[in-house]
Amino acid sequence: MRRIFGTAVAAGLLLASSAMAGTPRDALVMAWNLDALITFDPAQIAEVNGNDIIRNVCEPMVNYDLKETSKIVPSTAASWTVSDDGLTLTFKLRPDLKFPSGKKAKAQDAAWSLQRAVYLGFGNAANITEWGFTKDNVAEKITAVDDTTLLVKLDRPYPVGLLLSAMFASGTTAILDREEGTKAAKITDGKSDYGNAAFKTNPVCVGPYRVTRWQTNDVVVLERNDNYWGEKAKIRRVIIRHVPESGAERLLLEQGDIDVARLLNTDDLIALEKNPAVHIEQTVMHGYGYLSFNGLDPILGKPLVREAFRYLIDYDGLGKTILKYQGAPRASLVPEGAFGALDHAAGQPFRLDLERAKALITEAGFPNGFTKKYIVSANNISPQIAQHVQANAAKIGITLQLEQMADAQLFTRARAREFDVLQIGWGAGYPDAHSMISRHAVNPDNRVEAKLAQYPSWRSSWIDETINAKADAAKMERDPEKRIAAYHEIQQFMMHNGPMAYINQTIRTIAVRKEIKDFAITPFNVAYATAGK
Amino acid sequence: MGGAAQAAPLPTEGAARRSWRYARQTGGVLFSVALTFLGLTCVTFFVGRIIPIDPVLAIVGDKASRETYERVRIEIGLDQPIPVQYWRYLMKVLHGEFGTSLITAHPVLQDLLRVFPATLELAFLALFIGIVCGVPLGVFAAINRGRWQDQLIRFASLLGYSMPVFWLGLIGLLLFYAKLGWVEGPGRLDVSFDDIVPTVTGMITIDSLIAGEDEVFWNAFWHLVLPASILGYLSLAYVARMTRSFMLSQLSQEYVLATLAKGLSPFRVVWIHALGNAWVQLVTVIALTFGSLLEGAVLTETVFAWPGLGLYMKNSLFNADLNAVLGGTMLVGIVYIGLNMLSDLIYPLVDPRARK
Repeated sequence: MRRIFGTAVAAGLLLASSAMAGTPRDALVMAWNLDALITFDPAQIAEVNGNDIIRNVCEPMVNYDLKETSKIVPSTAASWTVSDDGLTLTFKLRPDLKFPSGKKAKAQDAAWSLQRAVYLGFGNAANITEWGFTKDNVAEKITAVDDTTLLVKLDRPYPVGLLLSAMFASGTTAILDREEGTKAAKITDGKSDYGNAAFKTNPVCVGPYRVTRWQTNDVVVLERNDNYWGEKAKIRRVIIRHVPESGAERLLLEQGDIDVARLLNTDDLIALEKNPAVHIEQTVMHGYGYLSFNGLDPILGKPLVREAFRYLIDYDGLGKTILKYQGAPRASLVPEGAFGALDHAAGQPFRLDLERAKALITEAGFPNGFTKKYIVSANNISPQIAQHVQANAAKIGITLQLEQMADAQLFTRARAREFDVLQIGWGAGYPDAHSMISRHAVNPDNRVEAKLAQYPSWRSSWIDETINAKADAAKMERDPEKRIAAYHEIQQFMMHNGPMAYINQTIRTIAVRKEIKDFAITPFNVAYATAGK
Repeated sequence: MGGAAQAAPLPTEGAARRSWRYARQTGGVLFSVALTFLGLTCVTFFVGRIIPIDPVLAIVGDKASRETYERVRIEIGLDQPIPVQYWRYLMKVLHGEFGTSLITAHPVLQDLLRVFPATLELAFLALFIGIVCGVPLGVFAAINRGRWQDQLIRFASLLGYSMPVFWLGLIGLLLFYAKLGWVEGPGRLDVSFDDIVPTVTGMITIDSLIAGEDEVFWNAFWHLVLPASILGYLSLAYVARMTRSFMLSQLSQEYVLATLAKGLSPFRVVWIHALGNAWVQLVTVIALTFGSLLEGAVLTETVFAWPGLGLYMKNSLFNADLNAVLGGTMLVGIVYIGLNMLSDLIYPLVDPRARK
């Protein structure tokens, strides 16, 4: 009996070990937390994972250079020209664009894709509507002249660099198959979904890969698009497995059962640092972790109090401890690396200074401190940062009552202005100062009934008409030097008077097996197609 | 003759009475099932509507404009008063429609049919481990009451109760997967085995056997064995403690002394007679354990990246995907009701008194 049992166990172990032979040669296997992934429709995607994946499936019309993010390079649009009055942009699309089926992708598809994004009106539509396009005029203003020419008529002469970066490099400009979208469109109460339901799981567009399988909370599989116009992807398949736990991802990577781990906490990254089979890649993102103060609060509405909070953050200490691998300390609202950003030193002038903070709240009229509620996500390092701020605040008499919650609840509270102090994140959509300033400094209407919850400035009940005007002037400034100077001025003002205390730029950290070569990560693109084994 | 003539209607009357009784019983069961479902949908629906998570944001994103937000809110019916929303939902459910998941965009039923077999597969093996190990350990502890064997088993059971499954899962992975290489890591299959076996039951071990794919079966089995053992340990702890308690109660009964006095072997008395009577209570315990394995595997499924019902429900809840949460809750409710009915059916098999 014992011998039979022993043989069975040995046979089982042999089978088990024989399967542990690493990942297939023709597949790139990644592990990530895919919890938030809800769609692959470029017009709808609003979260990090979806954006990351879709940029390998649906290319925008122009793209950020992989080596120099602020530089725009051609993508599906081979070239573009601007009229003298700056009111017309003409794109020449590549003549060899094809969908995965082999069918030609034309300017008519591009025009339809842009128009449908506006008609659908998801959050991403703002990438287009911010530049004067509306549901009523988009069909007239974005048109196909012929199979390869797309004409875009503007309402104002925006700086072309800004427009390309903000609108045409966004995933919303991906060229989708108009015929497929029209055929699959669902009509509800007379309104079309422009193929949204179909593209949600299977976007038919132009890119190095195509989505062949997506099972929520399980796996996403991409296959190489052999009809892609550019250099073909080196690896045939990309398999992204849903592994929502950092420790499990680390073990899978160490055992060679995955090639890339995308969700690792600091402890696991420190452990992997010593592993010779793995290398760690990092890039500083254009996203932020920050504190937002409710301007309607009689205490937090005072700029001196908000300034005091900036001296309660130990930027240096956080950078070396909690933020290791996770964030780069920065206090200015424009991320380093973006057009118009303050340089490294000017963008981070604050140091932990409890005496200064105490003096500021005393000057504001609160020498004995005060008590406020502080809401924060329960995820990742957010609670640790909150505890850090709470501990320092307590030293000058400020009591912060922490309340941790799920992200979805945090967003709901933030959008409803239901907070005293809020710790949250925000990602800039493109590498230009306008991206952050247009949302965090500009507030078109501070009234409660305006419900402009897409503006963090509105969420904080903060408005400054002078800043609104300066931001608009900077947006329209076609001289790059003058535009940079204008953005510097706004950043300096906001750093001391704004409703937020920025803590850090987020860092994207990825652990990759040594046998994977050229896995390129940048703030706005993670290129799977360049990776090889 | 006359007596016979008078006696003839009696069986008919008895049959009618029996039919009436069965009809009443069936009606009673159906009524209680309907009432349970109504309560289940009602509580889940209203709790779902008052939790401070906004389902619209899961669809439109944090940065959406007011217009987009309002449009989607109306589209998914959240502009209606809550009782109206509930009534609409109830009507849909009565027509067998659980709605569409906001997150996956698939019908909830389709999603549940995909994720449930993964959990079922895990729970079956865990329960098997729980029963096969837990019952004998409980009996063994009872017959050694107060001795070191009893203390050891109680301690091990207590550990099973108290240790966080999340931690236990990670330690298990570190030891048996990373260090010893005895089992496979997180997930249900290695990527090289994906899409080989056609889905029949959704349980990969069964489907691979049906397809005759031995390699896939063993790969799936070695992926399954660790999470199932972790969950099995938890159910083992409960089953062993309850078995011990029921057995102590049985062993103190007079019939045990009487059968021993009659000369029956202690083995027969304990394992056949006393355990035989303890099974009556154990059936309920096992049924409830199985139910809790199905709904309570969230953390195990998270650590082991197991795409089952627990992970699906957790994700749905955090994204305020109420259709999915309601559908999942209904499924768990159905399972509980089914298990209760099943244990009612099993009682007569283990307790002759229940056959009358």
